[in-house]
Amino acid sequence: MTKYVYYPGCTLYTKARNLDLCARRAAEKVGFELAEMPSWNCCGAIYNATSDDLAAQVGSVRNLAKASQLGDKLVTLCAACHNVLKRVQDRLDQPGNEVESERLKTFVDEKFEHPVKVLHYLEVLKNDIGWEALKAKVVKPLTKLKVASYYGCLMVRPKEVLEFDDPDNPQVMDDLMRVLGAQPTRFDFKAECCGGYLVVNRRDVAKSASLRILDNAKSWGAEAIVTTCPLCQYNLDKLRVLTDGSLPVFYFTQLLGIAVGLAQGELGLEHNAGDPAGFLKAKGLM
Amino acid sequence: MATSHSSFELLEQVEALSGQTVSDCYQCGCCTSGCPIGEAMDPPPSKAIRLLQLGRAQELLASEGIWMCASCLVCGTRCPRAVDYARIAEACRAIILRSRQSRVDPDTVSAPELEEIPQQAFIAAFRKSSV
Repeated sequence: MTKYVYYPGCTLYTKARNLDLCARRAAEKVGFELAEMPSWNCCGAIYNATSDDLAAQVGSVRNLAKASQLGDKLVTLCAACHNVLKRVQDRLDQPGNEVESERLKTFVDEKFEHPVKVLHYLEVLKNDIGWEALKAKVVKPLTKLKVASYYGCLMVRPKEVLEFDDPDNPQVMDDLMRVLGAQPTRFDFKAECCGGYLVVNRRDVAKSASLRILDNAKSWGAEAIVTTCPLCQYNLDKLRVLTDGSLPVFYFTQLLGIAVGLAQGELGLEHNAGDPAGFLKAKGLM
Repeated sequence: MATSHSSFELLEQVEALSGQTVSDCYQCGCCTSGCPIGEAMDPPPSKAIRLLQLGRAQELLASEGIWMCASCLVCGTRCPRAVDYARIAEACRAIILRSRQSRVDPDTVSAPELEEIPQQAFIAAFRKSSV
């Protein structure tokens, strides 16, 4: 079984346990192992783009150095951690940036041993496992579930660094949903910002951005939304419960977990807003 | 507001911190039309850049708009002139934060919000908008 170095990040240990737990269990079912790196620290939560603020990069530099001692692939799940780790690594590797890169590397105790590639769990499924092999592991197809895949910003931009998918019309999660037997719907705002952290001090702005996203998914016939970002999940799920209650917002790992045969207790549904279990029962998925 | 020498010094500071060349922008407006929170952002990206071009950096630094950008990067991704407004807004915020002025006070977050909102949001919000 292929073993990957795994970086969960802070939110997956608390408010987004429902993203983490079923991801680990589903990986075992699919045929790879997530070995959590010991003594990881916060990635910084958001990339700092100013040209001279090196202190903001140090947390991620240390995580990358530590990971490089453990393996050649570092797997993430949280869209924010993924974005920050990838961008810091890109900054370290940028041609012409050797002086800054050296300063950052010598600032942390951990030494870089060999190159490490930051991969998102979705990239492992698509490129390392492969859709055909994954399809063979599906024991409970998500038949008739019409689902809108929401990518938000952090997975797809900046496109030349993330190298993930088309930044305007990404497809990976749509493809995954198809492999799991669900029906991905058209979704025009799949990569539009939900307002992100503005929910902390400008809830009104995050609310109107999120509402527009939910309305668009609904208008294309979606019954549920699937995402990989704890903040998108919170902004959308919280809002939809406050409005008409339709469109439960799941993590892709929860739907993957159902399809590969995880038990209800392993899905962490109690961390989703509203009554996701009731919805899944009504759809015959539980 | 009249154009002043100090305003252009401020512009040079914004350019150094952001790594962007403000004069590259030819005001097509792609950034503003793609901005998902453009209606709440005052000034919106293209107008913000125009203020800098006109030597009115002080006005931009005093605006609400620079605090509204959540760095979703749609503007920079679509810009035909490769100007990244998210980096410009970041530089403007940095200039203010480095003068020890916070925009968001962590003490104003309520207990239920602390309980509920993912910590990723708090760390991001405070790193972007408080000292």
